Amino acid sequence: MFAASPRLRVVPSYVVHSVWCLVAETGNEDLFRLARRRVVLRRLDPRTKLALGLMAIGAVFVAKEPTTLIGVCVILLITLLLLGLEKTWLRSSRVFWPMLGVVFAIALLSFDLWVALTLSIRLLALLSVSLVFFRTVNPVEMGDALRKMGVPYELTFILTTAMRYVPLIGQKTLHIIDAQRSRGIDLRPKIRNVKNYVALLMPLLVHSFLLSDELAMAMESRGFGRKDRSSRRDYHLAVWEYGLMATGLILLAAFAWWERG
Amino acid sequence: MIQLRDVRYRYPSTDWVLNGLDLTVDGGEYIFIGGANGSGKSTLTYLFNGLVPHFFGGTLLGHVLVSDLYTQETSVSNLFARVGLVLQNADAQLFNSTVEDEIAFGLESLGLPGKEINDRIQGISDRLNLENLLGQSPATLSGGEKRLAAVASVLCLDPEVLLLDEPYGDLDWAAVSRVRQALQDINRSGRTLIVIEQRMGDFLLDSTRCLILDRGKFLFESPSNTGGARFCREHLLPHYPRKARTRTQTNTPVLILEDLSYGIDGKEILSSVSLELRTGETAAIIGRNGAGKTTLIKQFNGLLRPSDGKVIFNGEQLGDKDPSEMAAKIGLSFQNPNDQFFKSRVKDEILVGPSMLKQVEDEWVEEIWSIFGLHGLLERPPYRLSEGEKKRVALASILAMQPTLLVLDEPTSGQDGRFREALALLLAELQDRGFTTVMATHDLDFAKATADRWIVLHEGRVVADGGPEEILRNEELFRMGALGPSEADAPTLTTRK
Repeated sequence: MFAASPRLRVVPSYVVHSVWCLVAETGNEDLFRLARRRVVLRRLDPRTKLALGLMAIGAVFVAKEPTTLIGVCVILLITLLLLGLEKTWLRSSRVFWPMLGVVFAIALLSFDLWVALTLSIRLLALLSVSLVFFRTVNPVEMGDALRKMGVPYELTFILTTAMRYVPLIGQKTLHIIDAQRSRGIDLRPKIRNVKNYVALLMPLLVHSFLLSDELAMAMESRGFGRKDRSSRRDYHLAVWEYGLMATGLILLAAFAWWERG
Repeated sequence: MIQLRDVRYRYPSTDWVLNGLDLTVDGGEYIFIGGANGSGKSTLTYLFNGLVPHFFGGTLLGHVLVSDLYTQETSVSNLFARVGLVLQNADAQLFNSTVEDEIAFGLESLGLPGKEINDRIQGISDRLNLENLLGQSPATLSGGEKRLAAVASVLCLDPEVLLLDEPYGDLDWAAVSRVRQALQDINRSGRTLIVIEQRMGDFLLDSTRCLILDRGKFLFESPSNTGGARFCREHLLPHYPRKARTRTQTNTPVLILEDLSYGIDGKEILSSVSLELRTGETAAIIGRNGAGKTTLIKQFNGLLRPSDGKVIFNGEQLGDKDPSEMAAKIGLSFQNPNDQFFKSRVKDEILVGPSMLKQVEDEWVEEIWSIFGLHGLLERPPYRLSEGEKKRVALASILAMQPTLLVLDEPTSGQDGRFREALALLLAELQDRGFTTVMATHDLDFAKATADRWIVLHEGRVVADGGPEEILRNEELFRMGALGPSEADAPTLTTRK
């Protein structure tokens, strides 16, 4: 499928990154600046990060009882504080609230307050886990790690470029908004402005296509898709990382057991 | 090294874009290719590393021979290391998350062992002085640094030919001189260079041979030291008319900035800027990239709000009015026309603003068509226009609202000499009609030809304000880097021996 057309390889990355735009509100900020600053995280093998991330998501899915949910939230909060991501979280959570509000309202109307509350907290936890993950993972490492685990290069690259392009498309969006407001198009979030958003979406769509073409071209021009690629990085898991993963697993198991009992 | 024999090419759904090209390039040459927007220059670059035809499809006739390989029969992945292509859009070229990974990408494609890759990264970063950028994300680099990183990412492959599509892009004079220096060094070390660029002054000085591409054919070819005159005759090298001093300027202020400051995340971008723009004048805000020019003009219509100070338009404070409410008074036109097109016809595109404001005046609309020469384009889709036409439509769409103040952000960016000349005339006409115009630019030649007042912005402060001649005599401004050398212009290049 991926050999078919170079363009086809890039298009999925746009689907991925538009989802990312929603999850990790980024704008101009460099996603990975933070990650590089933190020595501990850099020392972690990307596979460990991936495993921990997946376990955290697993824990959120498992937790339904208030006690478990509080446990998960406490661990998440400690992680946020340890990584110094609390400010980023506060900033990004502005995007979460409307989504949470809608979920809360719907759940409240269809079930009861209790369900609405736990559902919103779980969603918030899930979004927070995603935020931590995307803010701390270097996409190239991630790609390399996945390749080591047997995922084909073309697939891992979709992930890599998607993460690089989130800030770029974010920037583009801001430019378009500025240009359109300057010519009298009201884009403030009001009901009567809804139809005006075509003026934002159309140029964004065109830019995305242009960019994906250019990206495909740039990749092709640097030998993307050649069979005998090498990698200059050498990854190996340290003993303490196994320990970390084991701790994570034990916690996850404990949560699951807690839920049953 | 490179041979083109009667090369003709068309994209899957277009007419012939390249229409009978013959060219022989020898080792060590430094070739400059100029041409108007839409002459087929970018397509030409895609020819050398096989993107044409393997990536784009379409029909390729004739022979393209690159170091004894016919590109028609050789895939891009077997050509990319021989012909290093630096694309026009540096953001697309840099798709990895650090500069180091960027350089490594091509080397990994070649399947080189880790140690050699690291050695080559070291070598190329020493050579281009990128040492302290290696760990950074391309997104955080300045324009000039991006360009150099892009050059490094292909030069490390040790290609026989280095091919650059508009390497100056929208760089300012400081970045330009850094890139220029790097390219000269690369050529001096014996590598063949082919450069395509709109800002051609420097390249006509540095290159050994120059060509003009016109509608897919080479129109002209000569040693570079005698080619300047022809580029000038073709209006590729703009020859601006001397500005007639018909200042209709009054002392009535249109826009007043009082002690305006602006900061973001604790970093001050503008500090105590005080300005008065007066009715009827054409002013230029001059400064390097990052000096705060765009941030400043965004204060004019409220896209950004000052953290301190006041913006007063026609005697009234801007307050918290939305920019869309100001559009009828202050028209702001940004660099990239593609950021604003969303209608399927040029006509609708231009009338978006006026119909939002419910003030479509047929008479004025007719005027707009004729000022911008749009009669033949009205029914066409804006995305399909040439770059110059797009810019024209974008400007027209702003002016259609009859703003009192017209603000242009880098109006010459990405435009060929012909359009830059035409734009200079257009601005003169707008001034005659009584419009007040202010542009933010680092194109000093253009600003010299069109503006009667220069406001020099440096590190967020206004460091000079006055007539261009007077400001250009102020050596202190050059010393502090607020101004820089303009590129070699038409008179210099046509009179040289």
